[in-house]
Amino acid sequence: MPKYMLILRTVDEAVAQQAMADAGMDLDKMVDTMSRYNEQLFEAGVLVGMEGLDDTESGSVIDYSSTPPVVTDGPYGETKELFWGFWIIDVPSKEAALEWAVKAPLGPGTNLEVRRVGSLDDVAQDNEWIRKDAQWRRELARRAAVKAGVEV
Amino acid sequence: MPKYMLIMRTTDDAVENFGLPDFTAVIEAMGRYNESMIKAGVMVGGDGLAPEPGLVVDFDQTPPVVSDGPYGETKELFNGFWLLDVPTIEEAAEWAKRAPLAAGSKLEIRRVTDESDFPDANEWIEKEKEWRASEQPS
Repeated sequence: MPKYMLILRTVDEAVAQQAMADAGMDLDKMVDTMSRYNEQLFEAGVLVGMEGLDDTESGSVIDYSSTPPVVTDGPYGETKELFWGFWIIDVPSKEAALEWAVKAPLGPGTNLEVRRVGSLDDVAQDNEWIRKDAQWRRELARRAAVKAGVEV
Repeated sequence: MPKYMLIMRTTDDAVENFGLPDFTAVIEAMGRYNESMIKAGVMVGGDGLAPEPGLVVDFDQTPPVVSDGPYGETKELFNGFWLLDVPTIEEAAEWAKRAPLAAGSKLEIRRVTDESDFPDANEWIEKEKEWRASEQPS
């Protein structure tokens, strides 16, 4: 089954903030609304992973145009070039991914970009590194399960 | 321990040049880089996105409007990510500098939010822990 990534974008920060203020959206309410959506994804069995990102000011950018690469502080680009988080869902088709995307509790000033996640099926299978990649994914899942078992 | 995301960014020039070297060599270089992070125990996950342009859902109206991608110009898109579990952004940058990327490519490094960013969301944080414990491996 293909996997799709729903990528959270802010197109216009002023519009997005005004829309949130109009909806009486504070941090608590936002967490509540987002979590209800996450719960739907989880209960439908389609959620593979999700992460949210911290503000862009505290990030760094590495540029590979020279050797060694150059590290600078700060955002990668303008607001609309950045993203804030993502969900990865495992669904049968692009249409199914889209059905989930339009249900996301988002408002004016925001977009979701829907992209297919690359899979090992996209590349030749008779390659040593592709076989290793499959092993690593199993190993990372095992490590995550061990960690969750300790913490939950 | 905080988690950091290394986000792959590129330009049209880099995409054009990417097709030139032997694709097997690219896979091998990436494979060796991934292996070094797995062995160091710092890699939590990663995925690459397929090159096709995808779709864009705009929430300015209700119901949201769907259009064909791409979302924007090449430099606005991203092509994949690594999630690293390291103590500081400086350490994330040290790993990032070793990535086998060429001129025209950039990595953006951002901290991934965790429960310390949402101190009052108790009920949902507990639920989210349960979801994560039973997520399918990506």
